[in-house]
Amino acid sequence: MSPGVDIEASGIRRAFGSKVVLAGLDIAAAPGEFVVVVGRSGCGKSTLLRLLAGLDKPDDGEVRVGGEPLRGLYPAARVVFQDGRLLPWLRVGANVALGLSSRETHRAAEVLAEVGLAERSHDWPAILSGGQRQRVALARALAASPRLLLLDEPLGSLDALTRLEMQRLLERLWQRAGFTSVLITHDVEEAVALGNRVIHLANGRVLGEWVVDLPRPRPRGNAQFTELVQHILETVMRIDQGILR
Amino acid sequence: MRRIVPWVVPFLLLAAWQAAGDVGWLSGRVLPTPVAVARAGAQLAESGELGLHLRVSFQRAAVGFLIGGGIGLILGMFTGVSRSAESFLDGTLQMLRTVPHLAMIPLVILWFGVGESAKVFLVALGVLFPIYLNTYHGVRSVDPGLIEMGRVYGLGRWQLVVRVLLPGASASILVGVRYALGVMWLTLIVAETIAATSGIGSLAMNAREFLRTDVVVLCILLYAVLGKLADSSARLLERWWLPWHPAFARMPVKADPGDPDGDNR
Ligand SMILES: Nc1ncnc2c1ncn2[C@@H]1O[C@H](COP(=O)(O)OP(=O)(O)O)[C@@H](O)[C@H]1O
Ligand SMILES: [Mg+2]
Repeated sequence: MSPGVDIEASGIRRAFGSKVVLAGLDIAAAPGEFVVVVGRSGCGKSTLLRLLAGLDKPDDGEVRVGGEPLRGLYPAARVVFQDGRLLPWLRVGANVALGLSSRETHRAAEVLAEVGLAERSHDWPAILSGGQRQRVALARALAASPRLLLLDEPLGSLDALTRLEMQRLLERLWQRAGFTSVLITHDVEEAVALGNRVIHLANGRVLGEWVVDLPRPRPRGNAQFTELVQHILETVMRIDQGILR
Repeated sequence: MRRIVPWVVPFLLLAAWQAAGDVGWLSGRVLPTPVAVARAGAQLAESGELGLHLRVSFQRAAVGFLIGGGIGLILGMFTGVSRSAESFLDGTLQMLRTVPHLAMIPLVILWFGVGESAKVFLVALGVLFPIYLNTYHGVRSVDPGLIEMGRVYGLGRWQLVVRVLLPGASASILVGVRYALGVMWLTLIVAETIAATSGIGSLAMNAREFLRTDVVVLCILLYAVLGKLADSSARLLERWWLPWHPAFARMPVKADPGDPDGDNR
């Protein structure tokens, strides 16, 4: 059995009051696939992710995880939030061990070492840098060996250099563990660096989709890479501007 | 030098007070000198009377605080965590809160007489509401994002309370504790002064009958010291309970606009 689980959302509609955020959207990820969703701020990316995580219910349509309709939370899914959401009153090690059964607690030290923070286990989250905090959040998500990892702009507030490091780290961890990933970002370059597939969300629907067939890890200077980033960026901007007008 | 400066003015006042008494400007009836107060304290301490009254007062305060605080904490957790408990209880509690607990003294004496339970009851009643309110608000103001995270990471209801809600509310609860400690002493002073045969308050009232102004002043000072001690212990409790909190712990200052907890006092 692959460690990753497939997820499929079909005909998803979600409105807040009269504001329709998702208007009959379809999206799917195969087991172990890395899908990246891009779109401008406010286009409903977080709303979509919350629906995939089971934190919210669609007004219409259905989310299926591993072939089963999603009811409530899927226990083997983990979410990494943009703001990290570490518990300030637990030390780093205890944060990573959150929700682990007593048989699994040794995993906390392991994943903390994997993200390179083994020696920070006894620190309070408040004294960590933004990048370190996101690495702890990532470790916490991976500690329970999830089959599905949902990431909502986890690198959005990091500086460019830390972002690059974190992207490499995320890619390595994903390759090693084999879970299914859905990453949300507004950074097309990040999307092309990480995704098997890049999906453009606009107007409450999927308006573009690109398969990224480049060997990993993907060097930024590579001509094919740059070309694809340029192409996606132009298409996305053209569509988004068309919508605005 | 820095440590001496704040004490200069109190010391001068004390010296002036003593001098005024020695010269005869201040009658011992009106305000006995600091030395006379200290002497009265020493005498009472020697006879064991002071220790007895102190112990009685302290015990009443502690028992009343634990009972009232405990009930307030539990009720506050309940109404904070559960919407149905909130709609069931909060309105009633908010209504009861408006009754000044000291206004209950005549009724409490009718119920319990002037025994221990009357004092403990009054202290508990006074302490309950500040702790209740701050616990309730503390739990309600825990970042919903953290609660959501807890659910995604597989925390059950009980774990959520212990790991997320209670620690998240703890800073607010401690504000309630500090406030309640003040209420506790005030309640005790009033209750012991009006109806008691032991405790610092009754010591003061007896002394008044015998025109022992020195003992009365001693009792007032004792209450001040006890109040200060209670406040200091609450501060210690903050340090001990909130070591993660940048406002209470001695943490290196770290400026990070993205961190809501990064504010420093
Ligand atoms: N709980 C909510 N109540 C009302 N409006 C919401 C809620 N959540 C999101 N929205 C609205 O839905 C739109 C999409 O939000 P979001 O999914 O957070 O966008 P993104 O993550 O792509 O920036 C926004 O206009 C936002 O105001
Ligand atoms: Mg968002």
